[in-house]
Amino acid sequence: MRTGRDERAHVRGAQRGSASDLEALFRTHWPRAHRAAYLVTHDAQAAEDIAQEAFIAAVRALDRFDRRRPFGPWLHRIVVNRAIDWTRARQLRAEVELGESLPAADPAGAPSDDLLAALGRLPPEHRAVIVLRHLLEFTPGEIAEALDLPRGTVNSRLRRGLDSLRDEL
Amino acid sequence: MRRELERVEIPGEHDARGRAWAVAQAAFAEREPTPPARHRLRLAVVIAIAAAVLAAALSPPGRAVLDGIREAVGVENPQPALFSLPAGGRLLVASGSGVWVVDEDGSKRLLGDYQEATWSPFGRFVGAARTNELAAVEPNGDVRWTLARPGVSFPRWSGTDIDTRIAYLVGHRPRVVAGDGTADESLCSTSSRRAAAAWRPGTGFVVALLAPSGAVRVVDLDGCRAAWQSEPIPTASRVEWSSDGARVLVSGANRARVLNGRTGAPLGDVHALEAAFRPGTHDLALIRTRRGTSEVVLGSTTLFSGAGALSGLTWSPDGRWLLVGWPAADQWVFVRANGRSIRAVANVTRQFRSGSFPRVDGWCCSP
Repeated sequence: MRTGRDERAHVRGAQRGSASDLEALFRTHWPRAHRAAYLVTHDAQAAEDIAQEAFIAAVRALDRFDRRRPFGPWLHRIVVNRAIDWTRARQLRAEVELGESLPAADPAGAPSDDLLAALGRLPPEHRAVIVLRHLLEFTPGEIAEALDLPRGTVNSRLRRGLDSLRDEL
Repeated sequence: MRRELERVEIPGEHDARGRAWAVAQAAFAEREPTPPARHRLRLAVVIAIAAAVLAAALSPPGRAVLDGIREAVGVENPQPALFSLPAGGRLLVASGSGVWVVDEDGSKRLLGDYQEATWSPFGRFVGAARTNELAAVEPNGDVRWTLARPGVSFPRWSGTDIDTRIAYLVGHRPRVVAGDGTADESLCSTSSRRAAAAWRPGTGFVVALLAPSGAVRVVDLDGCRAAWQSEPIPTASRVEWSSDGARVLVSGANRARVLNGRTGAPLGDVHALEAAFRPGTHDLALIRTRRGTSEVVLGSTTLFSGAGALSGLTWSPDGRWLLVGWPAADQWVFVRANGRSIRAVANVTRQFRSGSFPRVDGWCCSP
C-alpha cells in the first residue's frame, strides 16, 4: 500500500533525477491511466498514445510540480480530458474503422466484455465520469473540478450513465 | 463496478506498458534534474556503490546485476569525441550549458546560455531563445539584435535571401518578427499548442500551427488568410513540411500522420515515436520502439536498432545521413540512409558541458 508520503518522496526523487523514483511513479500510475484512457476511447492504440503522452507531459513538468499535490489525480485528470477530446474528434470524423476497434460482440461474453460494450454505447462525457468515479475513485466534487463542469451535471451524468449500464446489463 | 472495470482486457496491455516506459525514460533522460544538495548526492553515490559491491559479492542475482551493467548499451568502439561530421553543414545543438554551433570539422562554439535555436534560411545567422529574450546571433557568437518578450520559445526562421521572418511563441501565442528584429507582431491573432510553427518551404510566408484542439491550421501571413485546417489530432505535438511543401507531417506521442499539404486531408498514419521527412523526398525516417528496443526505419529498411530509447531524428542537408541520439549510451549515432554505414560518437553530454543529453536543433546548409 503506497502512502501519500511515499509518493511525495518519489516525486521529489524524480525531480532530482532518480530513474528508480520515476519508475516507481510509472509502476503505480501507468496501469490506471492506461485503463482509464481505454475505457473512455475504446481504442487500444489511442489509449496507449494518450496515457503515454500524459506521462511524458508529467515528466517534462516534474520540476514545476507542486509536491503537496497528489501526483495520480493530476495525471489521471490529464488522461481523461485528452481521452474525451480524442473520442469527440473521432466521432466527428466518423471513422469507418470505429466498429473494428470496439470489442467483438460475444453472446457468451464475460461480464467485463459486456460492461465494455455497454460503456461504449454511452456518450464519451458519461463514460468519463463513470471511469473517474468508479475506476479512479474521484469524488463528484473532484470530477466537477477535473472536467470543469458544475457538480449537478456530474451527478446527473453519473446517474444517467449508471442507469443506462444497468439497463444494458 | 471497480472490479469489473479493472477486469476489462486491454489488447496489448503488456507491450504498451513496455513502450510507454521506454518513452518515459527517454523524456526523463532529456530533462535537467533539479540539482540535489551536494552532500546528499555524495552520500547516495557512496551508498549505491557500496550496495552494488556488496550485492555482487554476496549473491548470484547481485552478480547478474553487475554483469548487466557491464553489457552497456551503445555502439561498440565509438569515436570518443565528435572529430567531424560525416556530411557537410553545421549543427545547432541545445544543451544544459546553452546553444552550440558545431562545424563540419567538429569544432564547437558556445553561442550563449540560450535554450533553443533555429538556423536562418541560409545558415548565416542563428535565432536563439531564452526565457525572456529572442536574439539573432552570428555563428561566431556576435549578437545582431535582441527582443525582450516574456516566455519566448520555439523560434523558427524562414524566408528568402531578401526577406525573412522568425515565428516564435510567447506562452501559447504565436508571434512573428522580421529577420532584422523589426515589425514584431502577433501572428494573425492565433493561439497555439506549445509547439513550434512550421514554415512552408518556398516563397511567401505560409505557416502551419498546431491549434489548441490539435488541428493543424495553415495561415498565409499575407492578409492572414487561412489556407486550410485539418481535423483535430489530439496527440499532436509537432508539425513539419516536406521540402516541396506537398506534405505535412504531424506527430505526437507514438503516432504520426501525413496530411496533404494543399488541403490538409489525411493521407496515412504511421506508428512511430518520432518521424522526419527525408530532404527532397516524401520518405519518412521513423523511430519505433518494441519490447525495450528502438529502431530507426526508412521505408521498409531498418537502418539501426539498439536497446532502450533513441531520440531525435535529424537529417543531414543532403539527405544522405541521419543523426539519432541514444541517451542511455550517451552517444550520437550517424546512420547512412542506405544502411551501409554507421558512425557513433561517445561522451556527448560531456562534450557539450551538459547535465542532460543534448538536443540537435538543426543541421543546416554549408556556409
